[in-house]
Amino acid sequence: MKRNILLVLLIFFGCPQLIAQEIPGFKVTNLKDQTFETSALNKTDNTVKVLSFWATWCIPCINELSILNDLSDDWKKNLKYDFYAISQDDSRTIKKVASLVNGKGWDFSVLLDKNQDFKRLMNLPGIPYTIVVKNGKILYRHIGYVEGDENELYKIIKDNQ
Amino acid sequence: MKFAFCTCLLFVSLCSMGQLSGSLESNAAWYIDDDKIKLDANEAKDRVRSNSYLRLDYRLKNFTAGVQLESYESKALLNYSPKFKSVNLGTYFLNYKNDSIGLDITAGHFYEQFGSGLVLRTWEDRQLGIANSIAGGRIKYSPLPAINFTALYGKQRNGLGFNFTDGTVLGLNTDIEISSLLKIKKVIFGAGFSYVNRSYAETDTRFSKNNYLAAARANFKWKDFTADFEYAFKSKDALVEFGNARPEIQFDGDAYLLNLGYSKKGFGVNANFRRLENFGFYSQRNLSGSAYNEGRLNYLPALTKQFDYSLTNIYVYNAQPNISFEPGRNKAGELGGQVDLFYNFKKETPLGGKYGTNVTINYSQWHGLAGKYIATERKYKADKFNLGEKYYRDASLEIRKKWSTKWLSVLTYQNQFYSAKFVEESTGEVNANTLVIDNTLRLKKSKSIKLQLQHQWADGLFKNWVAVQAEYNFSTAFSVFGIDLYNYGNNDVAERLHYYNFGAAYKKGAARLQLSYGRQRGGLICVGGICRFVPESAGLNASLNYSF
Repeated sequence: MKRNILLVLLIFFGCPQLIAQEIPGFKVTNLKDQTFETSALNKTDNTVKVLSFWATWCIPCINELSILNDLSDDWKKNLKYDFYAISQDDSRTIKKVASLVNGKGWDFSVLLDKNQDFKRLMNLPGIPYTIVVKNGKILYRHIGYVEGDENELYKIIKDNQ
Repeated sequence: MKFAFCTCLLFVSLCSMGQLSGSLESNAAWYIDDDKIKLDANEAKDRVRSNSYLRLDYRLKNFTAGVQLESYESKALLNYSPKFKSVNLGTYFLNYKNDSIGLDITAGHFYEQFGSGLVLRTWEDRQLGIANSIAGGRIKYSPLPAINFTALYGKQRNGLGFNFTDGTVLGLNTDIEISSLLKIKKVIFGAGFSYVNRSYAETDTRFSKNNYLAAARANFKWKDFTADFEYAFKSKDALVEFGNARPEIQFDGDAYLLNLGYSKKGFGVNANFRRLENFGFYSQRNLSGSAYNEGRLNYLPALTKQFDYSLTNIYVYNAQPNISFEPGRNKAGELGGQVDLFYNFKKETPLGGKYGTNVTINYSQWHGLAGKYIATERKYKADKFNLGEKYYRDASLEIRKKWSTKWLSVLTYQNQFYSAKFVEESTGEVNANTLVIDNTLRLKKSKSIKLQLQHQWADGLFKNWVAVQAEYNFSTAFSVFGIDLYNYGNNDVAERLHYYNFGAAYKKGAARLQLSYGRQRGGLICVGGICRFVPESAGLNASLNYSF
């Protein structure tokens, strides 16, 4: 039994990547139909990058992004970070993304993950889902959204300036 | 032991070179009869069930290997395909990707979408029990950033392990960003072409060995305008009735899809129009219209607004792409469209107030194809753009208003017409009006409370409903919730049931656990415009999600 425990510990301590990983490379598009290669998010430029996975039909996602958009002017005064809202809309609703983003007056960089391939590569179980990455290391993962979660996100961004 | 130790050492060394990521999801139910809702006798032997998925991906330089293990013990949750049983492999793949030469090669299971999915989409939706990946080989090649080719070949997953549907699938696709190739910047335009062939080793020569879908599409963007158009054709294939393919009766089909959009900051409008005629395409003929959504090769979602509130999802439209003959209920496809409008009243304006006001309007309407139908002879001739019987109409208004930094309200009004006769092939139709008021109030120290009030006035089918949902978040990590849907207007007094549910959820980082007890309303569960029927049930539910 002790040996088995030792083996399990070996696996976990031998694999620091289990808790700190790079973003896998995949081609998504932005709202201008330009290709965006997700491996660019691993760039070692000392900038915190926030990835928020959302969809037009997901009410908690809309709540979260609306709050973050309202707060972004204040946050940007003190913090340096890039924010990417990665849409999980499939072809049923994907055409609504640009209209909704503009209609709500959001200022995010919006990316389209048309068949949820990038979400699958990231092994995400559902949305909303937030990931914070800096210099090619994932610093934070968060599932779901309830009011107040943005305070935790603010702290993570601030602590990693 | 030595073997285990060596395996672990190998594992450790592989980990230190590459990256491992994974996810675990488990949804479990303990079905407990109450005084009103009882499990069907055929299902009652297995009252404790769970659907669980463990996915592991390992990346090393340009290579990724992945595996998904699935468990359905003691059986799958109610009304999942019986092919999902016990513990077995779900998917497995090996991928090589090298962006510098534009090459991406996969052997094993893969998910793919050509264009909008009109001719091919394979995907996984665990709530719906859709897991229709193709197992075989796929090559994606991009000689220039503006040119993409895909070729694939394989069999479609059907259940677990090495079970596949009967047909073999060949797919070819290309997308070309023409404006980018020509270095035109003011206008963006491109084109795409797809071909998907399904072949069978048929003994009955009356069947075609090969059936195909072919599509051409174009996209256009100029300043704030966008337009996309796609036309697709389906070769002649046998009519399928009640799971039986009839080789003596064959029809071809086609599809038109048009999207138009205009948006600038503070305003967006979008319109979709679609016509489908005999356009369902399955990797195994007799799976046409399968109740478990098995064997689907193309993606034909309902182009209507996807709602997220309980009562706005009582009557959900499901796309009607297939042919069926029945006097008074002949169908060959659907024709219709939807329009969405998004508008933001700015802050410090009369309607915007201090924090701005957000308005969303949606209208959708869907009809059958008008034409001549002779049900007894299994013959029809559909008109191109004349509306047939009305299947569904939906008009909705959503107003999102922040009253203060602490208080947010969302008001939703929905007006619907739903023909169960045509959409569900049962009887009746209904006009329903639904009002939802959703309030969120922030309290001190990351505490918050949500209260949803819903009412539906309906002149048919289930008649009136009322629903109340409350949620209290003790912190961002821990919540409790309760909901009650009450069908107080049902004509049948015995059916005037409360569908209550209460529970708690805990989340920390990438992990979430939820426990609840209550009743599940029977009917269609719809995600992404595709639906699955679930029977009524009562009991305890648990779900766990974790990813790394």
